[in-house]
Amino acid sequence: MSTVCTARASYKKSQGLLELTSTHLQWTQDRKELPAVHVAHTEVSSLFSSKEGAAQQWPQFHFHFPPPLALTERETFKAQLTTIISNNRAVRETGVLQPPQTSIQAATPSSNDTTHRAPLPTPSRPSTSRAESVSSNQGTPANDPINDFHLRKKVLVKTPELAVLHRELVRTGHITETEFWEGREHLLLAQAASDSQKKGRPGQLVDPRPQAVEGGEVKIVITPQLVHDIFDEYPVVAKAYDENVPGKLSEAEFWKRYFQSKLFHSHRASIRSTATQHVVKDDTIFDKYLEKPDDELEPRKPRDDDVDMFIDLEATREDHEETGNENDVTMQAGKQRGALPLIRKFNEHSERLLKSAISTDGTGKRRKVDTGDSHGYYSQIDLADLHNLESPAGILLEMQDRQRYFEARAGAAASVEQAPRPAVDFPAALLQMRRDLEGWQVHLAQLKTERKATEAALVSMTQNVATRLDVHKRKADIPEEIFRQMRTCQMAANEFLRQFWSVIYPPIGETVGGPSTLAQRTAKAARMAGYLTKTPEKVMAIVNAAETAGLDRGRVQTGMQPTLDAVNKALEFWETRKAAPGSGAPGARRP
Amino acid sequence: MKFFIDDLPIIFPYDRIYPEQYAYMCDLKRTLDATGHCVLEMPSGTGKTVSLLSLIISYQQFFPVKRKLIYCSRTVPEIEKALSELKRLMEYRISVAETEEQRAKEKAFIGLGLTSRKNLCIHPEVSKEKKGKVVDARCRDLTNSVVANEARAEPGSIEVCDFHENMNDIPNENLLAPGIWTLADILQHGRDTATCPYFTIRRSMPFVDVIIYSFHYLLDPKVAEQVSKEMSKDSIVVFDEAHNIDNVCIESLSIDLTRPMLDAAARSVDKLADKIDEIKKTDASKLQDEYAKLVEGLQEAVSDEDAFTSNPALPEDLLKEAVPGNIRKAEHFVAFLKRLVEYLKTRMRVLHVVAETPLSFLQHLKDITYIERRPLRFCAERLQSLVRTLELNRLDEYSSLQKVANFATLVSTYEKDNATVPNPVFHFVCMDPAIAIKPVFERFSSVVITSGTISPLDMYPKMLQFTPVVQETYAMTLTRNAFLPLVITRGSDQVAISSRFEVRNDPAVVRNFGTILVEYSKIVPDGVVAFFPSYLYMESIVAAWNDMGILNEVWKHKLIFVETPDANETSIALENYRRACDNGRGAVLLSVARGKVSEGIDFDHNYGRAVIMFGVPYQYTESRILKARLEYLRDAYRIRESEFLGFDAIRNAAQCVGRALRGKTDWGLMVFADKRFARADKRAKLPRWINQYITETAANLSTDMALTLSKLFMRTISQNAGENSTGVSLWTVEDVEKAQAAQRQTEAEQNVAAKAKPLQAKSQGDQGDQREGSGIPMDEDDDDDEYYDDGGFSDRVLEGVNLDI
Repeated sequence: MSTVCTARASYKKSQGLLELTSTHLQWTQDRKELPAVHVAHTEVSSLFSSKEGAAQQWPQFHFHFPPPLALTERETFKAQLTTIISNNRAVRETGVLQPPQTSIQAATPSSNDTTHRAPLPTPSRPSTSRAESVSSNQGTPANDPINDFHLRKKVLVKTPELAVLHRELVRTGHITETEFWEGREHLLLAQAASDSQKKGRPGQLVDPRPQAVEGGEVKIVITPQLVHDIFDEYPVVAKAYDENVPGKLSEAEFWKRYFQSKLFHSHRASIRSTATQHVVKDDTIFDKYLEKPDDELEPRKPRDDDVDMFIDLEATREDHEETGNENDVTMQAGKQRGALPLIRKFNEHSERLLKSAISTDGTGKRRKVDTGDSHGYYSQIDLADLHNLESPAGILLEMQDRQRYFEARAGAAASVEQAPRPAVDFPAALLQMRRDLEGWQVHLAQLKTERKATEAALVSMTQNVATRLDVHKRKADIPEEIFRQMRTCQMAANEFLRQFWSVIYPPIGETVGGPSTLAQRTAKAARMAGYLTKTPEKVMAIVNAAETAGLDRGRVQTGMQPTLDAVNKALEFWETRKAAPGSGAPGARRP
Repeated sequence: MKFFIDDLPIIFPYDRIYPEQYAYMCDLKRTLDATGHCVLEMPSGTGKTVSLLSLIISYQQFFPVKRKLIYCSRTVPEIEKALSELKRLMEYRISVAETEEQRAKEKAFIGLGLTSRKNLCIHPEVSKEKKGKVVDARCRDLTNSVVANEARAEPGSIEVCDFHENMNDIPNENLLAPGIWTLADILQHGRDTATCPYFTIRRSMPFVDVIIYSFHYLLDPKVAEQVSKEMSKDSIVVFDEAHNIDNVCIESLSIDLTRPMLDAAARSVDKLADKIDEIKKTDASKLQDEYAKLVEGLQEAVSDEDAFTSNPALPEDLLKEAVPGNIRKAEHFVAFLKRLVEYLKTRMRVLHVVAETPLSFLQHLKDITYIERRPLRFCAERLQSLVRTLELNRLDEYSSLQKVANFATLVSTYEKDNATVPNPVFHFVCMDPAIAIKPVFERFSSVVITSGTISPLDMYPKMLQFTPVVQETYAMTLTRNAFLPLVITRGSDQVAISSRFEVRNDPAVVRNFGTILVEYSKIVPDGVVAFFPSYLYMESIVAAWNDMGILNEVWKHKLIFVETPDANETSIALENYRRACDNGRGAVLLSVARGKVSEGIDFDHNYGRAVIMFGVPYQYTESRILKARLEYLRDAYRIRESEFLGFDAIRNAAQCVGRALRGKTDWGLMVFADKRFARADKRAKLPRWINQYITETAANLSTDMALTLSKLFMRTISQNAGENSTGVSLWTVEDVEKAQAAQRQTEAEQNVAAKAKPLQAKSQGDQGDQREGSGIPMDEDDDDDEYYDDGGFSDRVLEGVNLDI
């Protein structure tokens, strides 16, 4: 695989090397081994050199050529790719090869003259273009939830507070979208996880109920889902469909006649179906598929499943000879013949749903994680709370001179133990206590309290209560408008603080995403600090506004004080760091 | 753990014990010591079976006299569960045995379960048969001694069961290795060694220490005669889950004849006649021999295994004399049977219901057909003898005739009972449960009747006519309420709900019942079980709910499984229900009180977080049999109709809801949905352990109030239980010893009035602590609390102190 030409180009804001080999177009990010973009020539279908390609059908690869080299290098690539693409077109027209459609986009940011080359490995979701790791040759476009726009939108819609903050900060351009989501990845991941969770089948029985339309007619709306459900639930209908459509009946006719047939009524999960039987007219085609209702005492299809002995009801019935008189009429099962097919249908339907659920998630019988007994019996008869609690085996603490440590400790304990305790002579101590307590009633009667102190205590307590009451009364009188402003201001300040500290504190190696280089971080910290310096002004503005609204200035100030304190703290930190740049590089030390 | 009750060392296979288990064991021991009978009610799910087995095995192993344990339960699942409990207990006993000698003794212990041929058969063809009766008959054809002898004389000439044949060379005592064999174990053993599991059990029975089987094997004379007659008198008999024991007693002496049965019987009589003719020509000596034997009144010595059915009457009611002359000759007997069957068929042609006593029935019979009472009494026995002589095959075809003969014998033996003839069924109904159980009480010295729900206790001694030495019910000690019983009397729309016949199909009631199910399926995790008072009602209400769209709401939250008439089908539904509960999908199981599922299936833990009882499960009062029985109870025992009906309904309701718990960390909701449950007299019949937790507010709720309470309960119960239940609802060995010391104390106090006694009791308990503690050196920190309990003074010091300040 020889290289035809190479050039430095950025792709998705990352620097890398673009290469055109004899078979592939590939782009490798700096300091990485494997190419992030790897497209076979045969798959390259179009090349755009202007923005007209904005309406592409498929996602594209978008390369930026750094300005100085742009023109010449881009031209080389363009020329090479044009030939490849024209070859491809020729081949495709002869119909020999049908590679997936791809297109390449390239651009030079210095001028508006851009070249777009857009190859597409496999037709996939549009969002892949955003994904950082389009390991296209792997065939699985990894869907990066953190950068998925739709996910972000969903999260914002779900949490209104976050949406407000987003509107305040990102829309106004204070911080970028990416910055906003930094540190909130877990929200996106949670959303992605809940999105990707597969919903099980809904439990309801398939029971299309006709809607009445004027003129005494009835209407049943057939959706593909309904058709699928009917086929799934009643294989006999699928069979009928296979055998008759489109040969004998058209699709529409098939359904029309089905919903009028006895077959449909026997399938309806209703006891009334048996009653309507005689109203429904015969149908030569569908009546062939009609089965006798399953309303005997024994099911039509006996099953030989091996049942667990603990729930084997038949064994009990066969345990001894029948004795006694027959049950009275209410206790004879199956007297309501009409209900039996319904009941059986419930059981079958539930079983089918259960099977579909179990086969997908693969959880078997939870209880059968047994302990040596062959049938899982013991776990079923065990009384768990009668066992002693088993504390998990601890991790042994590795320490030097363990022996000596314990000896020393034991010695100390022993000495403490020995020193004060044994001296007590209990009868003597008790005697002493009795002596001390002698005449306690008299002593108690003589007890007097000083008047002044008592009063002072009472006054202070009263005051305390009064103050609390006062506060309580005055609590909720800030006008909604001012209060909202306060809240917004506080939220914004918090967000800036969060951004600020998040670039300061975790050392570079430990961050998840976000700006990775030192310079970027410093720049960001500076920017955030800039925003933060404006916070006191904003607070002042609110305070003033409150005053004009006739509110106590002090209260708003007090309310905003914690925010201001936090902001000041951050700013102070920033100042000292700036003053001592040698030691103060962001991320250079840990808190 | 190991502790002592009096001098008896008890080995209990857990580290802790519930106080009620301990109390239960003490009472049980008292009964055994006194060789008397007892009735004990212990809350469901508090480990009744394990306590019972633990005490009795300890008792058996400690005393030199071997008393066999006959443990009876209702259903095969319960039998299998009891066997598993026993097996685990014995494994535990072996593991904690202190000496080699003791260990050998524990290892030599044998425990077995017995069930029918149908459940135990591993013959490749016979086991495929659906009906137990057919399996029995085919098995007999392949295994009876005549066939076996012929096959041995001339191998290959006749079909025999190899599994049975393979056992011939093994002496009976070597058939099974000592140990505990569950039914599943036995089946596996049979497959491994190619021997018949059924006969292995039957032949090993003389050597076992514990035998576990169903009530019928002891109460039904037809079966008991074959299986249980060798049990020695000092055996300990336990009826577990005995709340329905009176019904089993009644069933075992009652019989039904229907028109098709009589027709079949008539055909069988004809067949018998043909067979006799045939045999007369070929081998007349056989009949001669039989006749001679009957003249001499000799009881034929038949091996138990060959006996196909014994006399339906109880042993002591059998006549110990020769068969009367007029039915001795085979052809005479056949003619006699023919007449009898014809007579019964005529009686069936009546248009109205006749209820009469056996005496009047016999009189009428005599007037019409000249059949006397005496030959009738021998009818069953004579038929058995004839069948044996003729070496008939496929006995299941003769089952109807057998029933007629049984009927004849019963009707002529018991004058007290009632025969009713509601068209077109001939019921012979035993009215008195005491008749069937009487021999059991008389024969065995200790009979234990126990269940989770056997309230009111005095009802059982009254109905079964015995005097218990101990009669006890235990409350459930809980550190927090593990279950919440609620009585819903009206729907959210304030319409009273009830399954009373007049209103049960009222749409408002049906809808309100439905709402309860829908709402509970929304809020309760995993499994919800709902019980209905009867099959008829369940089937109609399920259909109605479906048409009203109520079930669609349930489908949104849970899968729905319903009990069906077929046992196997229901088992599969049940298994799927459990899987849905395990899987987290959650499911609702609709079933019937007194039905198949309500007996012997547990809904513990996630299998039943809520049990809903829709309506009061009264018996169908229009039933003639029930009417006759109520009359009898009133006349004979002065039990009022309403009292019996209420008792019977409530015991079944309690049985249904009680199955939701196992262990004290398990939790569940118990919903009684019927306004009649709010009445104090109804609630008083509930077992004490349930009733004590029904608060006044919870006794009369509307649906929405009940839901609020339920949600609140589930929120609290889902918190961590906390570990402070030890000492209150859970006892360690030390707690047991403390309690014993305290008890000794109170006993002593009754005799001597001493001031310092309380201290002594305390010190005994604490010494127990220290003894135990000294064995484990490193846990000083854990015991800190204990040390500070008494302020850091040692007990001996305190004892010496004169506290009289």
